[in-house]
Amino acid sequence: MFERKSKRESLPSYVLYTSPKPSPRPPRDAPVVLVAPAWSDSQPWRILPLPHRDILSPDSQRRSRMEVLREKVEEEEEAEREEAAKRAEWARTEKMMRPVEVRKEETTLTQEMLRDLEKKLSEIQIPISAELPAFTKDTIDISKLPVSYKTNTPKEEHLLQVADNFSRQYSHLCPDRVPLFLHPLNECEVPKFVSTTLRPTLMPYPELYNWDSCAQFVSDFLTMVPLPDPLKPPSHLYSSTTVLNYQKGNCFDFSTMLCSMLIGSGYDAYCVNGYGSLDLCHMDLTREVCPLTVKPKETVQKEEKVLPKKYTIRPPRDLCSRFEQEQEVKKQQEIRAQEKKQLREEEERLMEAEKAKPDALHGLRVHSWVLVLSGKREVPENFFIDAFTGHSYSTQDERFLGIESLWNHKNYWINMQDCWNCCKDLIFDLGDPVRWEYMLLGTDKSQLSLTEEDDSGINDEDDVENLGKEDEDKSFDMPHSWVEQIEISPEAFETRCPNGKKVIQYKRAKLEKWAPYLNSNGLVSRLTTYEDLECTNILEIKEWYQNREDMLELKHINKTTDLKIDYFKPGHPQALRVHSYKSMQPEMDRVIEFYETARVDGLIKREETARTMTEYYQGRPDFLSYRHANFRPRVKKLALSSAESNPRPIVKITEQFFRNPAKPAEEDVAERVFLLAEERIQLRYHCRDDHITASKREFLRRTEVDSKGNKIIMTPDMCISFEVEPMEHTKKLLYQYEAMMHLKREEKLSRHQVWESELEVLEILKLREEEEAAHTLTISIYDTKRNEKSKEYREAMERVMHEEHLRQVETQLDYLAPFLAQLPPGEKLTRWQAVRLKDECLSDFKQRLINKANLIQARFEKETQELQKKQQWYQENQVTLTPEDEDLYLSYCSQAMFRIRILEQRLNRHKELAPLKYLALEEKLYKDPRLGELQKIFA
Amino acid sequence: MNRLCDSMEPKVMDDDMLKLAVGEQGPQEEAGQLAKQEGILFKDVLSLQLDFRNILRIDNLWQFENLRKLQLDNNIIEKIEGLENLTHLVWLDLSFNNIETIEGLDTLVNLEDLSLFNNRISKIDSLDALVKLQVLSLGNNQIDNMMNIVYLRRFQCLRTLSLSGNPISEAEDYKMFICAYLPDLVYLDFRRIDDHTKELAEAKHQYSIDELKHRENLMQVRLQDERARQEELEKHKTAFVEHLNGSFLFDSMYAEDSEGNKLSYLPGVSELLEAYKDKFVIICMNIFEYGLKQQEKRKIELDTFSECVHEAIQENQEQGKRKIAQFEEKHLSSLSAIREESELPNIEKMILECSADVSELFNELMMLEMQLVEQLEETINMFERNIVDMVGLFIENVQSLMAQCRDLENHHHEKLLEISISTLEKIVKGDLDEDLPDAPASLFVDKDTIVNAVGASHDIHLLKIDNREDELVTRINSWCTRLVDKIHKDEIMRNRKRVKEINQYIDHMQSELDNLEYSDILD
Repeated sequence: MFERKSKRESLPSYVLYTSPKPSPRPPRDAPVVLVAPAWSDSQPWRILPLPHRDILSPDSQRRSRMEVLREKVEEEEEAEREEAAKRAEWARTEKMMRPVEVRKEETTLTQEMLRDLEKKLSEIQIPISAELPAFTKDTIDISKLPVSYKTNTPKEEHLLQVADNFSRQYSHLCPDRVPLFLHPLNECEVPKFVSTTLRPTLMPYPELYNWDSCAQFVSDFLTMVPLPDPLKPPSHLYSSTTVLNYQKGNCFDFSTMLCSMLIGSGYDAYCVNGYGSLDLCHMDLTREVCPLTVKPKETVQKEEKVLPKKYTIRPPRDLCSRFEQEQEVKKQQEIRAQEKKQLREEEERLMEAEKAKPDALHGLRVHSWVLVLSGKREVPENFFIDAFTGHSYSTQDERFLGIESLWNHKNYWINMQDCWNCCKDLIFDLGDPVRWEYMLLGTDKSQLSLTEEDDSGINDEDDVENLGKEDEDKSFDMPHSWVEQIEISPEAFETRCPNGKKVIQYKRAKLEKWAPYLNSNGLVSRLTTYEDLECTNILEIKEWYQNREDMLELKHINKTTDLKIDYFKPGHPQALRVHSYKSMQPEMDRVIEFYETARVDGLIKREETARTMTEYYQGRPDFLSYRHANFRPRVKKLALSSAESNPRPIVKITEQFFRNPAKPAEEDVAERVFLLAEERIQLRYHCRDDHITASKREFLRRTEVDSKGNKIIMTPDMCISFEVEPMEHTKKLLYQYEAMMHLKREEKLSRHQVWESELEVLEILKLREEEEAAHTLTISIYDTKRNEKSKEYREAMERVMHEEHLRQVETQLDYLAPFLAQLPPGEKLTRWQAVRLKDECLSDFKQRLINKANLIQARFEKETQELQKKQQWYQENQVTLTPEDEDLYLSYCSQAMFRIRILEQRLNRHKELAPLKYLALEEKLYKDPRLGELQKIFA
Repeated sequence: MNRLCDSMEPKVMDDDMLKLAVGEQGPQEEAGQLAKQEGILFKDVLSLQLDFRNILRIDNLWQFENLRKLQLDNNIIEKIEGLENLTHLVWLDLSFNNIETIEGLDTLVNLEDLSLFNNRISKIDSLDALVKLQVLSLGNNQIDNMMNIVYLRRFQCLRTLSLSGNPISEAEDYKMFICAYLPDLVYLDFRRIDDHTKELAEAKHQYSIDELKHRENLMQVRLQDERARQEELEKHKTAFVEHLNGSFLFDSMYAEDSEGNKLSYLPGVSELLEAYKDKFVIICMNIFEYGLKQQEKRKIELDTFSECVHEAIQENQEQGKRKIAQFEEKHLSSLSAIREESELPNIEKMILECSADVSELFNELMMLEMQLVEQLEETINMFERNIVDMVGLFIENVQSLMAQCRDLENHHHEKLLEISISTLEKIVKGDLDEDLPDAPASLFVDKDTIVNAVGASHDIHLLKIDNREDELVTRINSWCTRLVDKIHKDEIMRNRKRVKEINQYIDHMQSELDNLEYSDILD
């Protein structure tokens, strides 16, 4: 104790080292003064939520005191609630003050004094809520929220009482600890217990089933808002519904939502209220190395020392001087030590520069994160998830400075362990009541330590059972969550970040994220790496793309070397895999890699420099593995000649082949070199298994004509060969001649191949440029929202369906209905009635047909009359008419004639169809089941 | 079939005829000129056409070792002969001849296409060796028995068959029969067999085919069993303990032992014999199992040894290859430098340098080889010691087990003698309960006879045991010496080959350099 105190006096930032409990919260006015850690010597105390827990302490005296206390507490609670109703606007202050009053109460225990004090204190307004940036309750539309958000059920009320009681006892027993974060107000200003704010939800997206992607989603989806007061938990804790709607929240909102989702997908997850470092609380990643830039550590493959087999040959005797070796090693070590030292110094210097400024409030900043305990979903060990960043941390991480309490949807635990060494010494055995004080009995005590069970033993099994029953009777279940299920629409899920864009600043790196299809070129994220901490000099840029038609996946631009590397997914029309280049001009340095299985020629890689081209192949039937061509600079012909029409002259082509197991080694060519300029062909054969030398052969074509002018076909000096095992038939000129002829043909082919490769490069470059310019995006046929074609089709289908439906409704129109309505309903028709009905119906229909015919007739006549009138008028005024009027008249005439003709046609058609329609109706009436009587006559 | 054979003189296949044919059918134009210059060796010829030449007898073809295709159609050949050496033959055309029986094709294992169209063959026969046969043309012959088709079932690659123009093709069931019995056939008489026909044929001849198949399967199974038994025995033989996993040795002891057999009728002997046999067989089994175990051990030892030696040689080869590759790189650049150099003294200097390089390479390679030889020698000696030790131990243990057998035999002998004598005494006293059979009774004349008889039986038994033991010991010893010898010899061969290879390479390099020198001086 003394040691601690002395430290405290000497060190200004003592909190980090000496804070004896998780919440070293100083009073507001004097943040340096601390109350003595009284709790550490009061070991066996218990907190007793009412009325569900017995006093486990054997001390009966204390029990009686507790009972008195309980009564008082209840009275006090009553009064308090009345007041709370009166002063809703003071809710915040009051809650803040509650711990103080509780503490007071235990010393004075007089109501009047308490009220007095309370009043006084309540007058001290602390203007914090006003500082809430952007996301205040005023801006929240609570009208659409369900009732459960606005009121408390009796059970919830009960729970709140229990919680208050728990809190009072807690503050009584641990007067120096900060008040508990138990029931903040929700968006409707209703106090809600934190556990009920958790709404375990299993999301319908398979991507959100695992904790890492889930945490990443929450961190992407919400925008971080700092706590109004960094030193204490917020007064409000909104439901996930609201948080999702506004896509904003503080650390408590983040962790509540993440915790709900994790519990929903089966994790043993808890919300934690504790203390974090400055970086953590402000979601400041500028001192973190971006996870994307971290290169995966190359696992050094330990070469397993193979046990020397029984007959392994002895190594040749080592004749080197051992002394000299030792001296050498010593020297080397010295040099290395020097280097190491320098390196370390350099590192230290760098670290110093990067180190954060000391934080005055270190250890006091309130933060909330998620704890995942091992056991469920195959989680091997406990870990933290910071909901802001979505990163996971070990429980040993020194950024997490302490835990005040934690809760899940079933219970609430207070940490009773010392957090002087961050969270490193904490033991997350929530079943251990000494380390974790629980609020509700009977809910699952996770990991009730096995030793205890062993201690309780088998001999008093009955007792244990009885105990269990009692526990059950007294246990108070956490009421069901008042929050609605978390719902994220597919659109929102896809857009992820608010407005589909998010920027994260890391140490020497900046990461930008976009929703897919937001950028027209398919860009989804960009990582910019900088050389310096201030982020001014760009080192390299990595851009990730999605849904691009050219399958471009990643573009990597190195700013220092100017090298660009494009990575493609399988499916590019040219089977591109990687394309690294400095400029898009042909015949420059570039490397193109291919998906060799997608290519007919099995090309893996093509490297180009200004004067050479190298190709690597695999899996070809001719076993070609490598082709290298050297070029000479192009002979300048015409200025117009392009690369296509004027290929560079080839100096040398080297081809290498894999071993063809079907051929004997001395006939299987391993390498052939066509020296085009010297008219020389060199062959090297494969080496036989038990040989160390390989056959070689060199063909020369010096002269085609001898001194006499005769054509020389083949002479022995045109082929120089070395054979490992000289064979007879290869010495023959005929054989050599045939081989040479064959090689000549091959040479031509190879040359052609090289040219074709060049052309292909040109083609690829052209295609790439086009693709870059167009950057079209593919849309999956299953994507019903974006796929225009399918959308149109679907809409058309819907329209057709609708029309069809209308028509059906029309056809189903009951032609008997008006007549049946005249008859008494529900009775079977007599024959006479049926006959009458039928006749009526038919005559009615007949009438309708006639009416229709009349109508058409009338219209026809009207039109004809009008036309006649017009014609008359025309003949009368023909002389005086202007050309315009005449035109008008003529056009009128033609239109009228057209109308008349149409009417005539309609009339004729009607005349034709009317009897048929009449007969059809008659037929239908006969078949109508309601007029079954009719059929009987005819049957 | 009597085509013009009377009107024209039959010709003999002599050297001139063959040379002419080869020359005509050989390379043409430029290559032909070259070929003429050099002459073509018969063994380089791959295909030969000898049609319409009135050949009566196939002859003089033994030089064409590498021939792949031979056409002898439209001659008057009467007998297939002289083709024994043409083992690489793939295609043989003997159509339009006067052949009566199929013969002389037993060495042509690579033959895929055989045409015997338009001959006088009446029976399909003697084609067993032609396992790769794909196309068989036997049209226009005198095959009249349908059962010849069944013979063709053994050719699993056969896809094309022509039999039209034979008496059997007249039969109404001809096509169906063939389709049913040769289900893998694709073309019959130059026509594709459609699936429908196949189905029909199968349905029609199902019963007989099933029976045939059943018989064939039985044969197959029997063959396999036989083979498996042979293999098992072979395995036991390599462990030198064959026939010890049972009462074989015991039975053989009594096989030639007439006295012993006679004595077994004595009262009480049969029980004694039974117990003796049981014990003896147990010991035999022990030897057998021990032998197998030891064989396994020896095998593992040998495997490790050869693996290690192989690794060592591979490693050494890699080193050698690397050295050569390094050298060649350097050598090539210096050669081109020499070519470009114009000053004579410089050239000489460079050439000297080059030859120094070559000799250095030689030294390096030889050093590597010597090193390897030394290392291998050590390893081989170690292996030899170990394997000899193992064999010695094995022999010792087997001998001790055999001694147990002998002890058993001795014990048995004593017991038998006892019984015999007591029986003799009983007989002499005349109070034998039951009558003896005649055979043993003849032995019980007097004491000497019976003792001799029992002794003879004992000697035979001991001899058998000794023989078996001796056989085992000699065989394993000879195996051991042979193995060691072979390893030594292989190593020596390897060494010689490598040294020869290095020398050859170095000589080549040196001569190349000399040539360069020479040509430079000429220039």
